[in-house]
Amino acid sequence: MINAILRLSIERRFLIMTLMLAVIGVGIWSYQKLPIDAVPDITNVQVQINTEAPGYSPLEAEQRITFPVETALYGLPELDYTRSLSRYGLSQVTVVFKEGTDIYHARNLIDERLSAIKSALPAGLEPEMGPIATGLGEIFVYTVEAVPGATLENGEPWDAMALREVQDWIIKPQLAQVPGTVEINTIGGFDKQYHVLPDPQRLLQMGVTMEDVASALRSNNNNRGAGYIEKNGQQLLVRSPGQLATISEIESVVVGRFGNVPVTIKDVAEVAIGKELRTGAATRDGHETVMGTAMMLIGENPQVVAQDLAQKLEEIKLSLPKGIEVEAVYNRTSLVDKTIATVQKNLLEGALLVIVVLFLLLGNIRAALITAAVIPLSMLATITGMVQTGVSANLMSLGALDFGLIVDGAVIIVENCIRRLSESQQQIGKRLEFRERLELVYQATSEVIRPSLFGVAIITVVYIPIFTLTGVEGKMFHPMAATVVMALLSAMLLSLTFVPAAVALFMGGKISEKESRIIVASKSFYRPVLEMALRFRWLVLSAASALVVFSVWLLTTLGSEFIPQLDEGDIALHALRIPGTGLEQSIAMQEVLEERLKDFPEVDKVYAKIGTPEVATDPMPPSVADNFVILKPRSEWPDPDREKADLVAEMETAVAQLPGNKYEFTQPIQMRFNELISGVRADLGIKVFGDDLDQLVITANDILKVIEGIEGSADARVEQVTGLPMLSIIPKRMMLARYGLNLNDLQELVAAGIGGEEAGLIYEGDRRFKLVVRLPETIRTDIDNLAFLPIPLPNGDFVPLNEVADLALKPAPAQISRENGKRRVVVTANVRDRDLGSFVEEVKQQINQQVKIPSGYWLDYGGTFEQMESASQRLMIVVPITLLIIIGLLVMAFGSLKDSLIIFSGVPMALTGGVFALWMRDMPLSISAGVGFIALSGVAVLNGLVMVSFIRDKWRQTSELTTAIIEGAIIRLRPVLMTALVASLGFIPMALNTGTGAEVQRPLATVVIGGIISSTLLTLIILPILYQLVHRRKK
Amino acid sequence: MNLQKTQFLKRWSLLLLIPLMVLAHNVTNAFAQSAETNKSPQQAKGPNGGKILSDGNVTLELAIFERGVPPEYRAWITQDGKPVEDANLTVTLTRLGGQQDVFHFNKNNDYWLGEGVVTEPHSFDVSVKLRLDGSNYQWQWQSYEGRIQIKEDMAKKVGITTQSAGPASIERHLPVYGRLVTPPDHKAQIRARFPGVVTAVRVNIGDQVNKGDVLAIIESNKSLQRYELRAPIAGIIQERSVNVGETVTNAPLLTLVSNKKLWAEFKIFPSQRSEVQPGQIVHIIHNNHTDESQLTHITTTASGSPYVIARAILNNEDGDMAPGDLVQGQIDVEKIDVPLAVDNRGLQSFRDWTVVFIKVGDTYEIRPLELGASDSSYTEILSGLKPGDNYVVENSYLIKADIEKSGASHDH
Repeated sequence: MINAILRLSIERRFLIMTLMLAVIGVGIWSYQKLPIDAVPDITNVQVQINTEAPGYSPLEAEQRITFPVETALYGLPELDYTRSLSRYGLSQVTVVFKEGTDIYHARNLIDERLSAIKSALPAGLEPEMGPIATGLGEIFVYTVEAVPGATLENGEPWDAMALREVQDWIIKPQLAQVPGTVEINTIGGFDKQYHVLPDPQRLLQMGVTMEDVASALRSNNNNRGAGYIEKNGQQLLVRSPGQLATISEIESVVVGRFGNVPVTIKDVAEVAIGKELRTGAATRDGHETVMGTAMMLIGENPQVVAQDLAQKLEEIKLSLPKGIEVEAVYNRTSLVDKTIATVQKNLLEGALLVIVVLFLLLGNIRAALITAAVIPLSMLATITGMVQTGVSANLMSLGALDFGLIVDGAVIIVENCIRRLSESQQQIGKRLEFRERLELVYQATSEVIRPSLFGVAIITVVYIPIFTLTGVEGKMFHPMAATVVMALLSAMLLSLTFVPAAVALFMGGKISEKESRIIVASKSFYRPVLEMALRFRWLVLSAASALVVFSVWLLTTLGSEFIPQLDEGDIALHALRIPGTGLEQSIAMQEVLEERLKDFPEVDKVYAKIGTPEVATDPMPPSVADNFVILKPRSEWPDPDREKADLVAEMETAVAQLPGNKYEFTQPIQMRFNELISGVRADLGIKVFGDDLDQLVITANDILKVIEGIEGSADARVEQVTGLPMLSIIPKRMMLARYGLNLNDLQELVAAGIGGEEAGLIYEGDRRFKLVVRLPETIRTDIDNLAFLPIPLPNGDFVPLNEVADLALKPAPAQISRENGKRRVVVTANVRDRDLGSFVEEVKQQINQQVKIPSGYWLDYGGTFEQMESASQRLMIVVPITLLIIIGLLVMAFGSLKDSLIIFSGVPMALTGGVFALWMRDMPLSISAGVGFIALSGVAVLNGLVMVSFIRDKWRQTSELTTAIIEGAIIRLRPVLMTALVASLGFIPMALNTGTGAEVQRPLATVVIGGIISSTLLTLIILPILYQLVHRRKK
Repeated sequence: MNLQKTQFLKRWSLLLLIPLMVLAHNVTNAFAQSAETNKSPQQAKGPNGGKILSDGNVTLELAIFERGVPPEYRAWITQDGKPVEDANLTVTLTRLGGQQDVFHFNKNNDYWLGEGVVTEPHSFDVSVKLRLDGSNYQWQWQSYEGRIQIKEDMAKKVGITTQSAGPASIERHLPVYGRLVTPPDHKAQIRARFPGVVTAVRVNIGDQVNKGDVLAIIESNKSLQRYELRAPIAGIIQERSVNVGETVTNAPLLTLVSNKKLWAEFKIFPSQRSEVQPGQIVHIIHNNHTDESQLTHITTTASGSPYVIARAILNNEDGDMAPGDLVQGQIDVEKIDVPLAVDNRGLQSFRDWTVVFIKVGDTYEIRPLELGASDSSYTEILSGLKPGDNYVVENSYLIKADIEKSGASHDH
C-alpha cells in the first residue's frame, strides 16, 4: 500500500501540490479558529451553585441552604462528587461531574433539581449557578477610578460609591454585550443604597417601631397601572404613579399617628444615601478602587474575546462622565501574544537553522527548501488537527513540538533521493530522462520510507504512557502528546506524499550534489574510527555500558518535578490575615502591602481583590486578598536579564516585613485553577466526616497527634474551621414571655437594626437602588451600648435588649466545609525521607489502633498519594507494554528479533547523553525532559532503523559482513549527521530561550541536544559493532 | 536455537528495561516532591513532656506543669539514668524588658518542684544552672511565645502607636430611657373655696402667671361677697374649665402648671437595678443637648411593672422641654480613679486571654491581663502589666494578626 501511495504521489505530483495548497488554506483558516491560551485548561467539569444569604452566619447558611441544595443533588447522572462551603452570607455548593460530561446538560439537570427545592429554602433566597467558565475564564480585568481632583456634578469628590455606580450602570451593561463574555463580575466600592435610619429614642417617643417604618415604606412606594378608558374614540391609559424618588419624598411617608398628628419618616429617622454591608473590596496601587472582571464562556477563544473587550472598553470611555478613568489592568492577550511570539521565534529560527544545515550538508538549496517546507506544512496540518480535535494551542501543547524530529523523515528521504539521483547522473554521465527520474525517486524513497514510517510509528507509540495519565496531569499533558503525535503523523504523511512529489517535480536539471567538505572530511575521519572500533569492540562496548550504568545512577540523583511551572509573566499572591479580620482592616493592610510592592522598579501595577465579589465565583473571607502584580516588560527593568524567581524571592522577603500578613506566591491563572480544583494538595489527606463540628475537630486533633508521632511525617496540620469571632444575641425565653414578646420579634429587630431590612427599591431612571431600614451607624457599631437598645413592647412600652437577651462574644466556625453531603474536617500531612506507601499504611494502622472514632463518624484517606499510587501502578504496566509494542514493531519491520534488539539498544545510549546534559545544566527531571527523551528514542530508533536496513541490504549484496557494515555505515553517515545536526541546532534557540514558555521547552531542548550527541555516536559506532557481534556467527 | 533466542531476549530486554523503569519511577516520584514544603524541626520531648537537657551522663528534663494548678516548673534529674537525690538547681527567666524570675527547686516526690508560679506569658530567655556533685552544668535557650519584632519605620508606616500605661479615671455610664413628667408640686388645680358665680376670669389657657396673681373672681353663694382666686404657684394656665357667669362648685376651675422644673422618670429594669442608687449623677439627653442632674429617688411603680422608677429633677427655665418628652439618661454608675488602666483600643483577645502588646525596642510581646472596671474608653488593669509599660494603642490588631499568622503554639 505504501508503494502504491508513493507511486501515486510521484505520478500525480501536481495533484499532490494542489492538495498542499488546500492544506495551507485549511491550515490558515483553522489558525483563525484555534483557541490560543497560555496554559492548558485543567478545570474539571464543575458547576458552582451560589446562594447569597445576607446576614446568615456559617451555621445557618449550612443548615438552611447548603443542606437542602446538596440533598437535592443526590443521584445526578454522571455526578463525581459534591463539596460545599458555608460562610457568612453565602452557601456555595460545587458539583463536580465525571470527565467528558456536557456542561450544558449538567447545568440543565441541576436547574431542574434546584427548581424542585425552591420551597424548602428560606423565602427570598435564590440559588444561582455560577458563570459557565473555567479556570482560564478571567481574561480581562479593569479598574474604574477618578482623576485626582475630579468632582461629581454636585461638587463632591468622586467616592467609591459613585464609581461603583458608573461601573454598574454604564460600563458593565456595555461590556457584557461582547460576544464570548459570560459575566462581568464587580468587586470594590459600595452598592449605593437609600438608608432610612430610625433613632430608637424618637421611635419610642412617637410610639412607632422599626417594623412600622419598613412596612410604611413598602406600602407607599409603588406605581400601578389601571387599564384604560376609551373616550371619544381615544384610548387613555390609566396609571397611578407613587414611587418614591427623592430623599424628601421618602421623608414625608407617614408611619403612624401620634394623637391626631401624623408621624412621618422625618420625625423618627434620618434618610440618607448610604453604603451596603459589603463582602468584598478591591484595591489598586495602594488605594481602594472599583474593579470589573470579565469572564469568558467555556470554549471561546480568549485572545479574540480579550481583544474585543479591550476595544469595547475604549468605546465605553467616550460615554463616561468627565474625570473617570477606566484602565485594563490585566489582559490575557498580552500573555497569549508572548506565548505566540516565543513559539513563532522558535519556529522561524528552527526552520532557518534546518535550511542552513541541510544546504551545507546536501549542497543543494532546492533539496534543503523542500525539506524545510515540511515544517510549515506539518504545522498547518497540526493546527487543523488541533481545531478538529478541540485541542487548544498553549505553552504545553506547542512547547514540546520538535522541528528537528518532524523533518527527520523528510531529511532521510530527500538525502537518499539526492544521493541516488546524483549517483545515477554520474553513472550515465548525463541528465536522467524524465521517466527515469521519476522511477529513481520512487526507488530511492521506497528504500527508506519503511524505516522512517516505522520510526514515526514507534515515536507515536512511545507517547502512549502520557495518554494514560489522568486527572490534572492528564489534562496538562494530553494536549501536548496529542499535538506532537499529530505533528509527527502529518510529517509522516507529508514525507509519503509531498516530499517525493516535490523531489520529482523540482529536482530536474543537474543535481549538483557536491559532497560538501564537511561530509568528505567526516567520512575520511569516520572510516578509520569505525574500523578501529570494530577491532576493539569489547573495549568500546564495555565503555558504552559503563556510561549507560553511570547515567542511570546519575538519573536517580537528579531532582524531579512532575508539572513544570509555566511562567505567566505576572505574579499573584494570596495575602492571608488571621480569620476574623475585618474588611476595612484588611484594606488598610492591603494598602501598605501594595505600596511596598509598587516600590519594586520591575512592577507596573498591583491590584487586589479582597473578600468575595458580587458573583461569588471565588468566595474568600474578608481576611484573604488575591493580589496580582503585573510586571513591566523586561526591557524596562533595571536588569532585563533578572530571573523571575529571584524577583519573587526578593518580594517575599520585602513583604514578610509587613506585620500581620502571610503570603502564598503563585501566578494569576494558576491561582484560579487552584481555587477551582481545590483538592487536598498534601501527600496525605485524612478527611473526618460526621455531624458535630466540635467532635470532628476533636477526632481530627487526635489523628493529628498520631500522625505527628509517626516517623517521616511533616507539616501535619488540621484544617482551620473555627476562629471567627461572633457576637451572639441569645434570647432569654422566660424574660421574653414576661414582656409579652415573641422570639421572632426580638430576632427581627436585631436583624433589621444591625443587618438592615430591605424595604423596596428607589428608581433613578433605569438605575435601581435598594431602600434599607437600619439603625444609625453610631448606634449600630457601638457594641458596648447595644445591650441597652430599647426593644418596643406590644403595649407601647419598651425594654432594653440585655433584659431579654444575653450578649456573648465568642468564636464560632468561620466556615463549614462539606463533601458528598457530610460535614468534614481534613487533616493533612506531607512525607519526608520515607516511602509514601509504607507511611500511609502505618498511619492507617496506628489510627485504627489509637484513635477512637465515635459511631456515625468515618474517615476517608486521600491526597496526592492516591494519584501517585495509581499513576505509578499504571505506568508500571503501560511502560513495559509500550516497550513490547516497540519491539514488536521493529520485529515487524525486520522480521528479525536480533536486529530489532540491536536497534532498540540505541534507546539507553541516547538517554545517556540527555541525562548528562540535564545534570550539567542542573535541571530537574520533568515531563518536558521526559518528552525530550521520547523524542530522542525516536531519533535513535529512526537512525538505527535506517542504518541497519542499509547494512543488511549491503550485506545481502556483498555477503561480506564487515565490509557491508563499514560501507553501509559510511553511506548513512550523511543522513545521520544531518538528522543529528538538524535536531540539535534547531533546538539551540529553544535551549537558551528565557522568554515566556521557556520553562517547558528548555529541558526538552537540553535533553535532545545532549542526547543527540550520544545517540549519534551510538548509531555510528556502537550499532555497527553490535551488528557485527550478533551476526558474525551466521556465516 | 530457539532456547538461545529466548535467553538472548531475556538478557537484552532486562538491560533495556532498567533505565526506562528508573525513568518512569522518577517521574512518578515527582508527584510527591512537587508537594513538599519546608519542614520545621521537631523538638525532642522527654517522658514527662518536658524539654530534655543533657550533658555527659547527666540528664535534666524541665517542664512547665499547668494541669489543674497554676503553671509551675517541674524537673527530673537523672545521672546515668538513675534519679538524683541531692542537687542544686536554679532556673532564671529573663523576660522582655529585663525582668528576671528566679526559681529554686526542691525535691518533691519523684520530681523537683520550682518555687513560685511561672506567670504568663511563657516567653523568656531561660538559663538553667545545675550544681551536682561539685560540678556545674549550665544550659541556655530562648523560649518565646507571642513575641514579634517590627522595625521602627515599619511600625510608623502601618500606624502602630504606643502609650505608657498609667492611672486613669474610669467613668461607667448606664444608658436608660424615661419620660419627663411635671413634679406634683409644680402643678396646681384651682378650685373655688365657696360655691358661687364666676364674675371674672382674668387668665386664659397658655397665660403665664406669677404667684399671687389674681386668676378669677367669684361671688360666693353664701355671703354674696366676691373673693379672688390667686395663683398658688407661678406657672402657665394649662386648663380652664370655667367661664364668666357659671356657677361653680367643688370642681377644678383652672389647672396651673409650672415647667420651670421637670422630673425625668427613668425606667430601671431588674438587671440594672443593683447599679442604680439615689445621688448618682445622670446626664440627660434631650434633643441633642445634655443636662446634668442627680438621681433623687428610686421608687417602685404601683401597677406591678417589672421596672422601678429613678427620678431626677431637671431645670427647665428656658422651657424647651415638655412633660411627656422621651429622654435618654446616662447614669454615672461608677466613677473611680484607678492606678493602672489601658486604652480600650489596645485590648485584643488572644487565646483565652485579653491582652495588650507591650513594646520594648522593636520587640512586641503579649501581656495577658486581669481586667477590672471599664468604661467606653479605659479599662482598669488588676494584674499583668506594670505602670509605665509601653503598650500598643492604635492598630494593635496588626500585632495580634502578626503573632497569630504563624500559628503561634503554646509550647515550652
